[in-house]
Amino acid sequence: MNATAYCFLNAMESEPSIIARGLRRRDPDLLDRLIEQYQHRLLRYLISLTGNRELAEDLFQETWIRVLERGHQYDGKHEFNTWLYAVARNLTIDYLRKKSPVSLDAMMEDRLLRDEDRAPLEPADTQPMAWEVIEQHEQAERISAAMIGLPSEYREAIVLRFQDGLGLEEIAAVIGAPLGTVKSRLYRGLNQLMGRLGGMQA
Amino acid sequence: MTQSTHEQARKLMALAGANAAANDRADRNDLSSAQLNWLRAHLQDCADCRNYADAAGHVVRKLRSQPVAADFGLVRTTQMRVRSRALELRRQQERLWVICICCAAVTLVTASTTALLWGAFAWLGQQVRLPDPVWQFGLLGLGLMPAIVTGILMLARGTYWADHNGSTEG
Repeated sequence: MNATAYCFLNAMESEPSIIARGLRRRDPDLLDRLIEQYQHRLLRYLISLTGNRELAEDLFQETWIRVLERGHQYDGKHEFNTWLYAVARNLTIDYLRKKSPVSLDAMMEDRLLRDEDRAPLEPADTQPMAWEVIEQHEQAERISAAMIGLPSEYREAIVLRFQDGLGLEEIAAVIGAPLGTVKSRLYRGLNQLMGRLGGMQA
Repeated sequence: MTQSTHEQARKLMALAGANAAANDRADRNDLSSAQLNWLRAHLQDCADCRNYADAAGHVVRKLRSQPVAADFGLVRTTQMRVRSRALELRRQQERLWVICICCAAVTLVTASTTALLWGAFAWLGQQVRLPDPVWQFGLLGLGLMPAIVTGILMLARGTYWADHNGSTEG
């Protein structure tokens, strides 16, 4: 095969299949790129699952280790982020099962009661006016608190849908639930969130 | 309008990202054009649902603007851990290859020398007048000796590394 044909075929190859090939080879450069590309989305998803940033950061690292070890299982036929979220989700469930037999919600409610000074989801660095910073921070804290107060399955669906922009079918694939369940969780989750954020002004 | 009509409209709003009325297309094609048209028509007639749509849209916009940033240190640490683990896995893979090659070589040598050794042990057994099962058991012991010795050595090495490094990696 000549070089032009090779380049053409490469250009025709879809992003998921390029990723799948790289993962089978355990290509470290590809993994570096993926870690950078998905850093914020994956961390946000893990925070939504665990309700705890420190734990989410630990699981963030473990997720990528598992992606390295089990990369050959990614078939390249679906979007990579769907598979990545499923890996992160299974890892989180395994971890929480090992650590504590209580449910995710029970653990987080307990933590909320005990840990008053828990760090909220930290805003990225920006340089607005001081009052804007305070306002943004307060708003971020309110949203974080409202999100943390939601049942974990609603929170997960909301993050995947409204923050990560996944389609309903993709969410169903990530959480391994029927489409109807996803729709119901989104509706109920959004309703509860609106109730908790009722006083927030536009 | 019935209560279920409003509920249906609100469910559609939730699925469409809560701002379907403002969009010209279904969000990621999860709502059909018919559903979107029905929702728009309903929102024109129903002030309550319009207010709900505004509120939901506001909450979703706030959610989308909610920044969560992974810090640089976390990303760098993760990349380093992944590279280190990848190297470890590659070494394991290489060791596995060496073991496979050794096994294949041993199998070949065994196959080619078994007949010779069988004859030698049978002759020796006759010379010292041993019953057949005795010299046959001796031949079996000789055949298993390399595997036994290798197993003992590997166990000792594993124990040594576990004691000194906390892992079985060299």
